[in-house]
Amino acid sequence: MLALIRPDSWNLPLFLHILGATVLFGTTATVAIAGFAARSKPDYAQLLARVAQRTFMLGIVPAYIVMRVGAQWIDGKEFPNGDEPGWVGVGFIVSDAGVILLLIVGILLAVRRQRVLLAVPILTALYVAALAVAWVSMSGKP
Amino acid sequence: MDTYQWLLVFHVTGAFLLLGGGAIAAALSLSALGRERPSEIVLLFGLIRIAVVAIMAGTLLAFVFGLWLVHEAGYGYADGWVIAAILLLIVANAMGGMGGKRDEATAKLARELAASGDAPSQELKARVRDPISLTLSYGSGLVLIAVLALMVWKPGA
Repeated sequence: MLALIRPDSWNLPLFLHILGATVLFGTTATVAIAGFAARSKPDYAQLLARVAQRTFMLGIVPAYIVMRVGAQWIDGKEFPNGDEPGWVGVGFIVSDAGVILLLIVGILLAVRRQRVLLAVPILTALYVAALAVAWVSMSGKP
Repeated sequence: MDTYQWLLVFHVTGAFLLLGGGAIAAALSLSALGRERPSEIVLLFGLIRIAVVAIMAGTLLAFVFGLWLVHEAGYGYADGWVIAAILLLIVANAMGGMGGKRDEATAKLARELAASGDAPSQELKARVRDPISLTLSYGSGLVLIAVLALMVWKPGA
């Protein structure tokens, strides 16, 4: 039961971290959904590219920042000496390697060339899967 | 991993599907607000169905494994934060369900208009921006965020 007891000062950063992560998951999935739909409905490719671009700027970017700031904040409180266990490392790998992937997605969406946009749903679907690995690791703490 | 950790994995997975599904629905319905062609609204409302599946699966997982966790972790079902979380989850689902029904009627109108010329319609535009539907749907999301806060702070535990 000791694992369930958490100092009150950890709650706000944990809340921000989880809220940011869930919104990041949903908005990244939205870009993947819009991208795959654009492949099967080319008549609406422009509309769906716009949906993906707006969701990236107004959803993914702020959610990533909230998730990452919350992660760093609670990490500093829970492991002040930097002695993080492996499950924390999984979270940092997914978030920090993910930023490179998300940057590529952002550039592809800004370019908005039809052939280039084909990569967007694949990259975002990969990141959705990586986020799932992170939440399983961070909640299960194996 | 022990039983508690496995239960937490499924509970958290439910929370991600529930809140993530809400984020998908919000992003797509916000995109529909600015559209006028009925076929575009049909497409965006159609994609929201994927979010609805995630929300339903997430609600079930979060609720069932949440109740199991209360028992496993030694909390009481009569604890104030547990009762409040269950009530708020029911409220969020009821609000989302009512908003969803209104959106279904809007999608039906959009399909009819798309099949008969796909011309923009003032009635469809008004229904897509219906303040009651928007309040129900986005209000449901805010209530879910309150549930998340209860899960983290567990006031009175």
